[in-house]
Amino acid sequence: MSKSSRNVMGFDGGIHPSTDGKSLSSGSAVRQAPLLDRYTVVISESVGKPPKPVVKAGDEVKKYQLIAAADGFVSANLHSPTSGKVVGIVDVPGAMGTPVPAIQIESDGKDEPCEPMPALEWRTAPVSDLLKRISDAGIVGMGGAAFPTHVKLSPPPEKEVDTLILNGAECEPYLTADHRLMLEQPGKVLEGAAIAARILGVKNIFLGVEINKLDAIEALNKHAAEFGVTVVGLKVQYPQGSEKQLIMAITGREVPTGGLPMDAHCVVQNVGTAAAVADAVIRGIPLVERITTVTGEVVKNPGNWMLKLGTPVIKAIEFAGGVTEEPGKLIMGGPMMGFAQRSFDVTICKNSSGVLLLPVSESVAYGSTSCIRCGRCVQGCPMNLLPCLLGNVIESERFDLAAQNHVMDCLECGSCAYVCPAHRPLVQHMRRAKAEIRKRKK
Amino acid sequence: MNTIILAIILMAGTGLVLGVVIGIFAKLFRVESDPRVDLVTELLPGANCGGCGTAGCSDFAKAVVSGQLPPSKCPVSSSEQVSAIARALGIEAGESFKQKAVVLCGGDREQTMRLASYNGVADCVSASLVAGGPKGCSYGCLGMGSCARKCPFGAIEMINGLAVIHRELCVGCGTCVAVCPRNVIKLVPADAEVHVYCNSPLKAPAKRQVCKVACIGCRKCQKAAPDKFIIEGFKATVNYANTPLPTQEDVQAAGCPTGALLSAEEHLRIEKHDPEWSAEK
Amino acid sequence: MKYLELTIGAILVYNFVLSRFLGICPFLGVSKRLGTALGMSGAVIFVMTIASFITSLVYRHLLHFTIGGKEYDLSFLQVLLFILIIAGLVQLIEIMLQKLSPKLYQALGIYLPLITTNCAVLGAATINADSNFTVLEATIFGFCSGVGFALALVLFSSLRERLDLAEVPKPFQGTPIALITAGILAMAFVGFSGLC
Repeated sequence: MSKSSRNVMGFDGGIHPSTDGKSLSSGSAVRQAPLLDRYTVVISESVGKPPKPVVKAGDEVKKYQLIAAADGFVSANLHSPTSGKVVGIVDVPGAMGTPVPAIQIESDGKDEPCEPMPALEWRTAPVSDLLKRISDAGIVGMGGAAFPTHVKLSPPPEKEVDTLILNGAECEPYLTADHRLMLEQPGKVLEGAAIAARILGVKNIFLGVEINKLDAIEALNKHAAEFGVTVVGLKVQYPQGSEKQLIMAITGREVPTGGLPMDAHCVVQNVGTAAAVADAVIRGIPLVERITTVTGEVVKNPGNWMLKLGTPVIKAIEFAGGVTEEPGKLIMGGPMMGFAQRSFDVTICKNSSGVLLLPVSESVAYGSTSCIRCGRCVQGCPMNLLPCLLGNVIESERFDLAAQNHVMDCLECGSCAYVCPAHRPLVQHMRRAKAEIRKRKK
Repeated sequence: MNTIILAIILMAGTGLVLGVVIGIFAKLFRVESDPRVDLVTELLPGANCGGCGTAGCSDFAKAVVSGQLPPSKCPVSSSEQVSAIARALGIEAGESFKQKAVVLCGGDREQTMRLASYNGVADCVSASLVAGGPKGCSYGCLGMGSCARKCPFGAIEMINGLAVIHRELCVGCGTCVAVCPRNVIKLVPADAEVHVYCNSPLKAPAKRQVCKVACIGCRKCQKAAPDKFIIEGFKATVNYANTPLPTQEDVQAAGCPTGALLSAEEHLRIEKHDPEWSAEK
Repeated sequence: MKYLELTIGAILVYNFVLSRFLGICPFLGVSKRLGTALGMSGAVIFVMTIASFITSLVYRHLLHFTIGGKEYDLSFLQVLLFILIIAGLVQLIEIMLQKLSPKLYQALGIYLPLITTNCAVLGAATINADSNFTVLEATIFGFCSGVGFALALVLFSSLRERLDLAEVPKPFQGTPIALITAGILAMAFVGFSGLC
C-alpha cells in the first residue's frame, strides 16, 4: 500500500488560519536553556493517575533520578530535571487553571546526572524490555494530550494494529518545535519511530509532515529508507495534526465515532515522543526536558529552547529576551488549541509544545451575536459535525440533543469558532456540553 | 307533547346505550392501578425537583406507596404535609431531617480579586473550564448564576457577583449543589443560622492575596466555642453535627478578624448593602 | 371528484385549526413535543372519524323521522346529543389507551379528556349536519378534518421544537412567540384558498 505516489494528502473540512507566525521562530536553531536556581516539576504530567512522589523535602537528588513513581498502568514516572535539593511539595497554577501539586527542586548548579539506565540494542532487545524502558523513562505523548506512551504502544490483543503514524504535521500556527526537531535531529526521530514500530510489530511506518516544512521533509528523507519509514507530505490545513485527521489523510481510514486510532488499526505518535523514545532506549535518558517554542509578536527573540521540566514560563520568556511591549495574552500551546493562562507561574510540562504571547491588539474581547446559519462552521469542522446546531442546542441546555448530534466527537480544535462571523463561543459550548454529558454518565 | 316525550326517550336511550358500552369496555380494558399513588401525588408539592432522588413527584409517590421510601424523604414538603401523607397511607412518617443549602463564599465582586478578564459564555460550568474561571480564588463562587437559573424554587439571588440563597425560599432539594462546578454550595441543617463563608482550603497568605473576607484559620472562633467549630486544614467550619449550633452570640464572642464568620441574615444584609446595617456598625 | 374536493377542502383550504380556528386549546397545549403531538393527532383523527360517522347517522335517522304519518323534527337536540356521543367516545378511547399505551396516555395527560370539549370535534359534527352530508361524505369529512388538525399540530410542534432552541426576547418567550408563529402559519394556509 504505497501511498507515496500521492504527493499531498489531506482531509475534508478544516481551515487555514490567516496568521501563520511560524516564520518568527522557525529559522532559529534549538538552544539549550541556562540552568535555573529552582525548578517546580508538576507531579501529574500525564493523563491517568498521578504518580506518587518518592522524595521528600530535604532529599538530595541527582539529574535523571526518579522523583515520583507511576501509580498503576496508566500513569507515568517522573524524573528530576537537575541535581540539587528537594524543597518540598507545593501547589502551583496548572495549565488548566486549577492549582496542582508540584515537587520543587533547588538546583545545586552542578547539573550532575545519576547512574544512567543501561543502553539497549533496540533491534535485538526483547519487546518487553523496550516497553519497560519507555515506561521507566516516564515518556508521555508530547504533542499535547500527554497520554503515557507505553500504554499507547501496548494495544489490547484483540485490536489489530498494522500502521504506525508519526505526527510531524505541526498544524498549529506559531509552533515550530517539532519542525526544528525534525530538521536538526532527523535520525533520532526515525530511530524512535523504528523502535515503536518494532514494539507494535508493524511494517507500515508513515511520518506525516505538512508541506510548509520542506526542509524537514528533505532532512528526514535522507535517512528514512534506512528505518523503513515513508515520509508523507501533507496539505497545509488545520487541524492536520489531529490523530483522526492524520489517519484519514495518510491511510484513508476513518476512526469510528467514539473510537480510538487503534480501531482504525493505527497508532499515532508525535515526533517529539519518538525522539524521547530513542533517547530512553538507546541512550538510557529519561524524559526531563523538551523542545518548546517561545514565541509571539511581542517576544524579543522568539525561538526554540530545550527547556527542563518545571521551568517557570516567566523564565522561558526571559531566555527569549523578554517582551517588547505589554503582552495581552499568555497561551500554553498554540493559538488554536492552547490554553490561555492567568498566571506567569505556570511551568513547562512534558506536553508544553509552546509558550505564546499575543499582543494586546490580538487578544480582542469579541461580543458574540446570534447564529446567522451561514454554515461556515459546518464546512470548517474536520469531524463533519454541525457546530451551529450544537451551539444553539447547548445554549438552551438541551444536552440530550447535543449528545444525539455527536458532540462527544468534537476535537475542540476551534475551527468553527475561528470562522464564525458572529464570533459565537462554539468551542466553549462544546466543552461545557462534553463536561455535562460526562458528569451525567457517572 | 309527543315531541317532548320523544326527546326524553331519545336522550335517555342514547345515554343508556353509551353507558352500557362504556361499562363493557371498562371491564374489558381494566388497568390495575393503585389509587393511593394518585392520592400521594396530589399531597406532594408537585415541583418535580428531584431532591428526593427519584425522577419526580409521581415516581416518589410510587416509591412511598410501595414502601421503598418514607414520606419524609421529600425535602420540600413541610412536616405537616409529610404527616398528612403518612396518615393517608397509615404508615410511619419517618425521621424528617430538614436541610437548607448555603453558598459558603462571601467573595463578591468587591471582596475578591478577578485575575483575568473573562470573555465567554456566562455560565459557571463553562467559565470553570477556561483556566478555572476569572476569579482569583479557585474555590469561591464564580458568580455567573448557573445555580440561580436551575433552582426550581427561585431561592437563589445573584447579588454583586455572588450567589446568595434566601433561606425562607430554600427547601434543600440539592439541585444547586449538583450544578455548582466549584462545590461551594453545601446542604446544612435547616436551623443553622451561622456559617463560615469561605470554601478555600489554601493557606492564609494565599487566600488573603485574592480575597478580603477569606477565613484565615486563626482559630478565634474555635477558642470561643470549642464544640461549635472545627478547623479543617486552614479553614474553620461550623460543626453542623453538633447541637446546639452556633448563634449570633457566638459570632460576637469569636470576633472573626476577616468577617468570614457571619449569621445568614447578616451576610444577606452585607451583600445587599443595607444602609441600616452599616449605620449599626 | 366530489370526494377529492371534500378531502382537499377539509385538510388544506378549510383547515380546522388554521382557517376555522377551532381546537386551538390542544393545538397550543400539546404541541411542545413532536411525540405527544403525534399521539394527540392520532387520537383526534380517531375520535373525529367515529364521531362524524355516528353523529351523521343520528342526525339523519334519529333526529328526523316519521311516526304514523306524522313528521317529527328533533334537531333542537342536535348539540346536546352530539356532545353526549362525543363525550362517550372519548371516554372509550381513554379507557382503551390506558390499557394499550400507558406511555401515550400519560403524555397526553389532561388533553385526552379535553377532546370532549375540543370544539373541533363538535364543529365537524355540526358542519356535517349543516351541509347535509350523506353518512359516507360525513365520515370522509370527519377523517379529513382530523388529518387537517393533525397536519397543523405536527407542523406547529416541529416549529416549536426549533423555537425552543432559538434566542427569544424575554417578553415573547413561551406562549406569546407560539401564538405569533401560529398566526404566521395560519397566514401561510390562506394561500390554499381558491383551491376548491
